[in-house]
Parts: sequence; C-alpha cells; structure tokens
Amino acid sequence: MSRLEFENVSKKYGKGMSEFLALDHINFSAESDQLILVVGPSGSGKTTFLTIAGGLQSPTTGTVKINSEIIGNLSKNQQSTLRLNTVGFILQSYNLVPYLTVDEQFLLVDKVKRQHISQEKFLSILKKLGIENLGKKYPNELSGGQKQRVAIARALYADPEYILADEPTASLDTHRSKEVMSLLHELAHQNNKTIIVVTHDLRLQDQADKVYQIIDGKMSEVLNIDKSAKKNLDFYSK
Amino acid sequence: MFLALREIKFEKIRYSLIITLILFISYLVFVLNGLATGLSDLNKSAITQWHASTILLDKDAEGRLSQSFLERSDQQKINGQGTPLSQYSALVKNNQTGKTNAQILAIEAKGFIYKNLKISSGMNFKKDNTAVVSEQLKENGFKIGDKINIANNDIQLQIVGFTPKASFNVAPVIYTSFKSMAKINQAPVNGIVFNKTLKGNPQFKHSKLYTITSFISKLPGYQAQQLTFKFMIGFLYIIVFIVISIFLYILTIQKLPNFGVMKAQGISTRYLILNTLTQTFIVAVIGVSLAMMLTVITAYVLPSEVPIAINIKQVLTTSFGILIMSLLGALLPIRQIIKVDPFEMIGG
Repeated sequence: MSRLEFENVSKKYGKGMSEFLALDHINFSAESDQLILVVGPSGSGKTTFLTIAGGLQSPTTGTVKINSEIIGNLSKNQQSTLRLNTVGFILQSYNLVPYLTVDEQFLLVDKVKRQHISQEKFLSILKKLGIENLGKKYPNELSGGQKQRVAIARALYADPEYILADEPTASLDTHRSKEVMSLLHELAHQNNKTIIVVTHDLRLQDQADKVYQIIDGKMSEVLNIDKSAKKNLDFYSK
Repeated sequence: MFLALREIKFEKIRYSLIITLILFISYLVFVLNGLATGLSDLNKSAITQWHASTILLDKDAEGRLSQSFLERSDQQKINGQGTPLSQYSALVKNNQTGKTNAQILAIEAKGFIYKNLKISSGMNFKKDNTAVVSEQLKENGFKIGDKINIANNDIQLQIVGFTPKASFNVAPVIYTSFKSMAKINQAPVNGIVFNKTLKGNPQFKHSKLYTITSFISKLPGYQAQQLTFKFMIGFLYIIVFIVISIFLYILTIQKLPNFGVMKAQGISTRYLILNTLTQTFIVAVIGVSLAMMLTVITAYVLPSEVPIAINIKQVLTTSFGILIMSLLGALLPIRQIIKVDPFEMIGG
C-alpha cells in the first residue's frame, strides 16, 4: 500500500494573465522502504511538490493521500497533528530555532510530541552526522554544514514515517553528503521509512531507489539513469 | 514555558528593554496611585476615621462644612441622634514653630466621634482649652503639653494627646470641645454626623442629609484632583497596552519565519500562542515586581511632606490591572501567529 499518493494533482498560482501552472496533473506514489530523489531545474515545481506532499499547501485540483487519508479532508489542526506525527521536514534554509541550543532543538521535539527517545538512539543519530559535540551551541555558532546536519538530525529524531527533504546536502561537502545520503538510505530500508529528497545534486542518485524529474510542472520517473538521462540531469547540478 | 524562557534567556537585551519599560510605567502608575491616595487621605482621613454614614448640612452650603450653619429648628428634629460638629480653619503655632494650617473641629464628649477617637499618645481631651491633635502636627514640632496659639485669637489650646494622622481638607485636625470652640469662634453647629440610620424620618426645612461619600466628593478641589489622577493612571494603562503590543508585534514579525517552520514541523498554533502569552506574563510579572520594590523604596526615601500613601491591596490590584493590559497587548501579535502560513515562511 502506498504511503503517499498524488492523484492527478495540479497546482496553479496567480490569476488571469499572471496564472502559472506549477504542477501539471501529477500522479505519484511512494511506499515505505524507499528513498526517492526528485530533481529538476529551479522553478520547475519541486518545492511546490514537496510542500503539497507535506500538507503545507493544498493542490488546486486532484487529491493527495497520506496513509490512505485525503489531506484536503482534514482540518488545519488535524493536518498539523499529521505533520507532527508522520512527516519530517529537512529544509534548505536549515530553519533551526535561533534561541535554542542544539540539544534544546531536540528537546522541543520531545516537548511537543511528548516522546522519549532513548539516549542511545539519540547519540547514534548525532554520531552518524558528526554533531555529537555541538549540544551546547546555538545555531549562530554553527557553520552552514553543521546547521544542515542538526536540521537533518532533528527531522530524524522525531522518528516520522516519511521525510521530505529539500536540498539536504546543499551545504555539505562530498564526503558528508555521501554520509547523509547513506544515513537516509539506511533509515528508509532498515527503519521502514519513506524519504523523498528534492535536489539538484546528482551525486546522490547512487543511493536512491527511484529518481523522478520535474520539468515545467510535469513529473516523470527517470528509469535507469543512463548516460543520456544523466547528461540531462547533470544540467541541473551546474 | 519551554520556548518562552529560553528565548528570554537568549535575547537578554531585547527582553530587558521590555521589562525596563514595564517597570517604569508600572512604577509611575504605583507612584501616581500612591499620590492620589495620599492626597485623598489629606482631604478625608479624619472623615474616614469617624466611621460615619451620613452628615446633615445646610441646604445652601453645597455640601461644604465650613459654609454650613444648621438652623436650630432642624437640629431639634433629630432628637439627640448623631454628633454635632463645629469647624474653624485657622493658622496655628506654638512658641517654637512657624505658623501652619489646621482645621479645628469641635465635638461633643458624648458623641461617637469622641468615643471612637484613637489616641496614639497622651490622652483624650476632657478639660476646657485642651485638644487632641493629628500626628502630622508632631512633624511640625508640636508635642504634648504645648500650647497652640491660634492666629487672630487670644485663646490657647493645650495639646493633651495625639491621634493617628487625621486631616480634613488638606490640613491636620485639632479636636476640642464645643466649650473651647465657643471661645474661638462662637461654636456654631456646622453639621451633624451620623453613624446609624436616622430614626423618625425627620423632614428638614433648611438642611440636607449627605452620604459621607457624597460629602467627601464635595470637598473643595477633591474631585478635580482625583479625576486628574484617574485620567493619568488610565492613560498609563493604555500606554502599557500599546507598548506591549508594539514590542511583541515587532518581535513576532521578526520571528514569523521561525513560527512558520515550527508550524511546518507540526507544532500547533495553540502551543505557539501559549508560548507568547507565557512570555508576556513572565516579562510583565518581572517588570511589575521590580516596580513594586522600587515603589516601596521610594515611599521610604521620599520626605514626609510628599503625600504618598502606598497600600498593599491597591498595589496588588494595580499590578493585576497591568498584567491584564500586558496580556491584552499580546493579542495583536497572537493574530499574526494564527495567520502565519508555514508554506510562505519556508520559502515556497
């Protein structure tokens, strides 16, 4: 059974002359144990896709289902609870709470989710991301890469069913990018997660189970990333 | 509470500024309230100490004791109920002190005012030409045994006791007998004070019965003075509301991206609103508490000539009012939190 489903989803912005079709009749499904890469040039509709998948905005037409539940039928509060318990966001701009230390970023998750994650599991996430010694630091004391890793750790810490990541490796070097993707891959397969990564970074494709591309609002699966497709995709990473 | 405390700790300067503002506004409210009460006491503390309910005055006196001269016919209608009062405003001095304003009030020894008169030192007056005076005159150098010289009068009154601060119409009170007053001012009966409901429903031809509250409100300048203070204090409440509103609004606008991200993570709007209200409450409680301390210190440090009266009940009521205004001030930013769209804030 699909965990996330898009059925004929379109999203329009603006009206009249300024009308713009960001997503054009998209059909998409993601299941558990999958790491999916979504690639596309800037303005192609990747972030719109991601935010609709996370229930942050509604499609103009079509339906989005999470665990067979149509998001559009849920109230704002129910959508919020769904996000809290089911979805984890990793955003390009890190979006850490500036007045919380790294440890407190996780504590906030505990507070709002009323969860208690074992210290062992917590430390293993931090160690894999190389941020185990940053607990007392505030976001303004971290480098871009460190912030990104803390944001990733925070999303993983909440233990959501599926993770939506927008350029999660944008601030990381090749080595760290591979580690993060390997961690996401491991999570998807060992912890039964669905992970959707929107990126320009084609170095990540090795770890992906499926690769989709969005061009001008249309989404298609890139089967077997052969040379020609890669060449096409490489265009985005430049 | 979690986010509220951590943000205050992180943004120390920002929140110190808000606390300082609340502190000074609250301090101003406390001091103005203290002054209003102090000045009010200067006008009426003697009256309050009578524990009276009504007063009979001349119909044409417009509620003013000094302008009232009760007709004998009306006095007879009350059949000995209440206690008559005779008032004389005078400049008084002893041999050592300069002249000071005082209100000489003649009361009967059998009346309830005399019987209820609290004596803080010395004793109540019994003999002719003796008096019990307000403790305020102590500060002017008067002491027990002193003879009070009354300006434009040959009579001297000897102080036999002091009563806790009792003033009438901004002057300390000197209580004496009608017999002594007769030598000063012929002792007309200016009014009759009652502490019980008047029996027999007498109809007065030339007099009118006032409640004590109404009598106090008709003291010269009293209402204008109190209204001015109330106006200033009312405005300060509005200022607290506006200041908190503006500060929190600006802070909230700056934090909208954070709120958006937290909403995207599934943190409920209710949690964020509670956080803002808690933050406002903490900041207001700290500001008001510091203002309370500063007010108490001020009351001790100010010279006794400054008529400031701080009482706990009033300070607590005022503090509660300021806290409510602060929380109301948080409503505008709360609207922003409700409206914030996580999609817009995460850069979609």
